[in-house]
Amino acid sequence: MRAILFITFALLKKRKKQTLVTVLGVAISVSAFIVMSSIMFGFQKYFIQQVIDIEAHISIKPKEEFAEDRLMRKLDNESLVKALGNRPKEKDKILGWKDIIKTLEQNSEIIAIAPHLESKGVLKYGAKEKPVSLIGIEPALESRASVMERFLDHKNLKALEINMDNIIIGKVVARDLGIQEVGKKVVLALPNGETKMVKVVDFFNSGITNIDASRVYVPLKTLQALLNRVDEVNVLIIKIRDVNKAESLAKTIKREVKYEVESWQKAYLNFLKLFKVQNMITYMIVFAIITVSAFGIFNIIMMTVMEKRKEIAILMAMGYTPKEVTLIFLCSGLVTSFWGGILGFLMAFGIIEYLSTIELSLEGLLRSKGFILDKSYKYYVVGFLLSMFFSLLASFYPAYKASKLNPVEIFRSL
Amino acid sequence: MALLRLENINKWVGKEQILKGVSVKIEEGQFLAIVGPSGSGKSSLLYILGLLDRPTSGSIYYREKVLDLSQTEFISKLRNESLGFVFQFHYLIPELNVVENVMAPQIKRGVNHKEARDKAMMLLERLGLKGKEKRQIFEISGGEMQRVAIARAMANDPEILLCDEPTGNLDSKNTHTVMEIFKEINRKGTTIVMVTHDLNLAKMTKGVLEMLDGEIISYTSLETEK
Repeated sequence: MRAILFITFALLKKRKKQTLVTVLGVAISVSAFIVMSSIMFGFQKYFIQQVIDIEAHISIKPKEEFAEDRLMRKLDNESLVKALGNRPKEKDKILGWKDIIKTLEQNSEIIAIAPHLESKGVLKYGAKEKPVSLIGIEPALESRASVMERFLDHKNLKALEINMDNIIIGKVVARDLGIQEVGKKVVLALPNGETKMVKVVDFFNSGITNIDASRVYVPLKTLQALLNRVDEVNVLIIKIRDVNKAESLAKTIKREVKYEVESWQKAYLNFLKLFKVQNMITYMIVFAIITVSAFGIFNIIMMTVMEKRKEIAILMAMGYTPKEVTLIFLCSGLVTSFWGGILGFLMAFGIIEYLSTIELSLEGLLRSKGFILDKSYKYYVVGFLLSMFFSLLASFYPAYKASKLNPVEIFRSL
Repeated sequence: MALLRLENINKWVGKEQILKGVSVKIEEGQFLAIVGPSGSGKSSLLYILGLLDRPTSGSIYYREKVLDLSQTEFISKLRNESLGFVFQFHYLIPELNVVENVMAPQIKRGVNHKEARDKAMMLLERLGLKGKEKRQIFEISGGEMQRVAIARAMANDPEILLCDEPTGNLDSKNTHTVMEIFKEINRKGTTIVMVTHDLNLAKMTKGVLEMLDGEIISYTSLETEK
């Protein structure tokens, strides 16, 4: 091996400029891979983590069925009329939800279950109005079944227990209504025409725009009373020990209850699919960059082989075997790639550290004050290994060609 | 015992037969010149003697043991340890400096870096290149390049030195120097086979093999004249 490295380093040292350009090419591709992975997975992981934390790991809700028109007998008990849609009392509730909770709580995979009554409504503050999603919660149960308290600006979840007229509103809802501090009174209007003056006691700030722009938490009993749905709930949220088992556990629960059971993966399937497409596109770009740098290595080694035919012949005359000649050129590719990889590491580290210091006000799917980066070491390892693999692949053909050269033909042609 | 022996060697290149039933024996301590006009097959014979090329038919014996040329590893090892080559155009590796060129075959053999350097320095000094060890190849003259090539060929103390027109590119002064070096090397026990078209140089060896159209037409021993 010493003999191979002796010649390899001599070849690389003498072609400093070309070697440097190739090393730079590899470094750029490795750093592009690391930085893009860090940004992309940083965003996706953050989003998924927030979703897992905010939303139920598993939720139980009434099945969404197409409502069939019904014939109803009029009050005079004689004539029939056609009624459109479901019966008001039938829709949108979970019957026997307390029993369901008791049964499911015996499952060791389940940490806690909390009931929700969800509805639509409108918040009014001064001249401004905003349609919102109302969630009636029991704070004591909610704090066990979700980590929503973590996203409250003032950690004031208990205020919903103290006073039934207190509510918590999304940060973007507050902004849109022009509410800058807690303690403001707003009017809550419901689909049945009921209205009530309530007090904003906290802001819910998850960072996920569409949630913060619509969600309003109301004490469960208040919402039940306003909607005239005493003791009714329409969603049960379940917190489980291992979020990755949500899908399989949801299937198990589905066998026990007659309602729709949905895991967080299913609820956010569209986003997860979108992320897959995003990953594919990103990796196609990174693949293209790595391919270009691999071609750089291919070119330089192929050129060396073509230019160094005479030296290859003399190496063979000296006793180097064709296998050793192959290894010399494979090593050239690997050494170039190794240093490119190391330089790529440093470049990526620098870029990621720089990006994490940039302050940006981003508002899209997520709201953030800068790049959300995943600084995992595994992107460095994968980037390095990928570049080594592609370099090996790129060096193989020229190295193989070199080993197949016939020294006698070369000596005769000179 | 013959060091190298070729028996009934035929070599075809396409439809042309460039060696026709050649048999030759290289004894230990021999200094043999192979002469002949261009295309007579002398270089082809040298490449087969140097195990760089395979004959179409015939056998090659090394110390009376027939060689299997398909055993690449063994043949390469034999070339590295027992044979040395000197070519008309030196063929030094420009990426290596003077001393590194002489170290290369030794490092291939497995000699450690320091020993290889010491041996290379000693050989370069013997060949009058002291002080030029760290020079790049393009920084030395043609005659010096050929002496570096000889030092490289001698680096692993080969049993046979095979030279293809080693002075073909040199002026008369350098030619004389190189021939004196060969004679000195041969006196110390290394067998030399040299292809040349210069009959005056051939006369400085111990025996002359004359080739024409791929055949050996004569062998003249010059041992008695020396």
